[in-house]
Amino acid sequence: MSEETIYEHMRKEGVSRRDFMKLCGLLAGAMGLGNMPPLAASNLSADLNKKGATLVQRVAHALQTKPRIPVIWLEFQDCAGCSEALTRSQSPTLIDLVMNTLSIEYQETLSAAAGFQTEENKQAVMEKYKGQYVLVVEGSIPTGDNGAYCTVGGRAAVDILQEAAAGAAAIIATGNCAAFGGLPKAKPNPTSAKGVWEIITDKPVVNIPGCPAIPEVFTGTVAQFVVFGSLPALDQHNRPLTFYGNTIHERCLRRPFYEAGKFAGSFDDEGARNGYCLYKLGCKGPTTYNSCAVIKWDAGLSFPVQSGHPCLGCSEPNFWDGGGFYQGQSAPLDRPMATAVGTAAAAGAVAGAAIASASHIQKKNADKKLAKEEK
Amino acid sequence: MDWYKILAFARGPFFQVAWLVFIGGLVYRLIRVILFGWKKDKDPADGSKLVGLVKSFLKGAIIWPFIPWVKRTFSKNPVVYLAGGFFHLGLLIILIFGTPHMLVWKSLLGFGWYTLPLPITDWFAAVTIAAMVVLLINRFINPVLRLISGPAEWFNWLLVFLPMVSGYLMTHHLINPYEKAFALHMLAVDALLIWIPFSRISHFIFYFFSRAIHGIEYGKRAVNP
Repeated sequence: MSEETIYEHMRKEGVSRRDFMKLCGLLAGAMGLGNMPPLAASNLSADLNKKGATLVQRVAHALQTKPRIPVIWLEFQDCAGCSEALTRSQSPTLIDLVMNTLSIEYQETLSAAAGFQTEENKQAVMEKYKGQYVLVVEGSIPTGDNGAYCTVGGRAAVDILQEAAAGAAAIIATGNCAAFGGLPKAKPNPTSAKGVWEIITDKPVVNIPGCPAIPEVFTGTVAQFVVFGSLPALDQHNRPLTFYGNTIHERCLRRPFYEAGKFAGSFDDEGARNGYCLYKLGCKGPTTYNSCAVIKWDAGLSFPVQSGHPCLGCSEPNFWDGGGFYQGQSAPLDRPMATAVGTAAAAGAVAGAAIASASHIQKKNADKKLAKEEK
Repeated sequence: MDWYKILAFARGPFFQVAWLVFIGGLVYRLIRVILFGWKKDKDPADGSKLVGLVKSFLKGAIIWPFIPWVKRTFSKNPVVYLAGGFFHLGLLIILIFGTPHMLVWKSLLGFGWYTLPLPITDWFAAVTIAAMVVLLINRFINPVLRLISGPAEWFNWLLVFLPMVSGYLMTHHLINPYEKAFALHMLAVDALLIWIPFSRISHFIFYFFSRAIHGIEYGKRAVNP
């Protein structure tokens, strides 16, 4: 990485001024700037807040004056699905921005180098850009048995994370695993897996949950940091409000069928063929906050609910333990165990019989006493 | 507040506990009632106990209640007859034919059934809530009813009213976020489940026992109530 600005780097790579401006427009859109509160109030630097500047001009100005940002991308207990989703995203210019322009210094899935070479490079980058680099984490962090369940280069994931987080300017946890523990944290959580924000508590962690995270949501969040140098407004689970402000249900294209009470009862009935609501098939849309219904996947082609599969709720904490995927959302999280029900019934019966016989004996004694007194 | 966590608690451990208390409590009450006065019938019967039983159920639970002019309750107090009737009917329809409720039964029993469209259950929900308000006002202004209403009676009303209202607000997304509405509804339902066995709301089971006992008595004495 050099001190050249993002714009200079892109020009060198052969990006025309025209394409650059297009990218700026795309970025402004991806960040949802149109929906943001008045920019003047969002404590931006003065040059970005000039009166009369359009959103695109603001983004362009930022990219022209800011140096490239080094990124360290750590992978722990993950499937690399979030990386894969990002590289296969259908918004090439945006992805190009993140993958190339941002100068990713360390990424296990993508880097050509391996072993000590790449570890040394990471150490060098962390040293050189202390307090400046963006740390992206993919995958959950096992904390059980001194972190023995996930090691890279002989070191536990917890150590690696804490070391990298110490010098990071911003931390982004991508995917449900890094954000909330994901699949590794599902009951019984054998590795005591945790999300990044449960371990790094002294710095703000932006969560981009999803399984995988929507590439445009990830890039939009990174772009916000690049352009404004600040992190976006977050909800109670540290998710950017721009992308996680609405539920799937609120923006769902099958919503009218929900209101009309028209449901698919199975994956192959009349209702399913007519595109009816998937609530009965276990859709978790009403409590799931994400942009799937708006941004969709594969260049806006479709998203699970549109394709006929209920929402699994993959952007919510503990979604693996949030009830069966194909069980209605209103159903209790666990079915009461037959033994527990039997025990409760037996306890009720025993208590009932005991108290009844106690009062029976009491009555008998009272009757006897009464009879004696009468004599 | 993290409503997501509260919801997980209300749908998970709290619901389990409430459900077990509900079952254990009802069994306890049942045993108590059965052992209360189980004496051998040494008296020869004048009539058929079975006929009395059947007649009692026909009159008290199955046919007569739905023919207004046969019931003195209607001619004497039409407000209670209508409000009470619609309340019970609405509650039954919502609990059995409301889609989300059927899914609860399905998860507990393992099989599901046909459900009514939302606008229809919605109408019944509105009617049920309105009926409850009418019944509350009636309980307030009727001097006799007021005299025999203790704290438990008012509490009964409240614990049934809360799930009704929270459920209605939840379906219409009038409380945001949705998980807050969901959590409030589930907390109210859990509280009701725990309360039912130890309150008069348990009449949804014991009513049929008392009907049976009365019917057998009628039949034995060969009287037609």
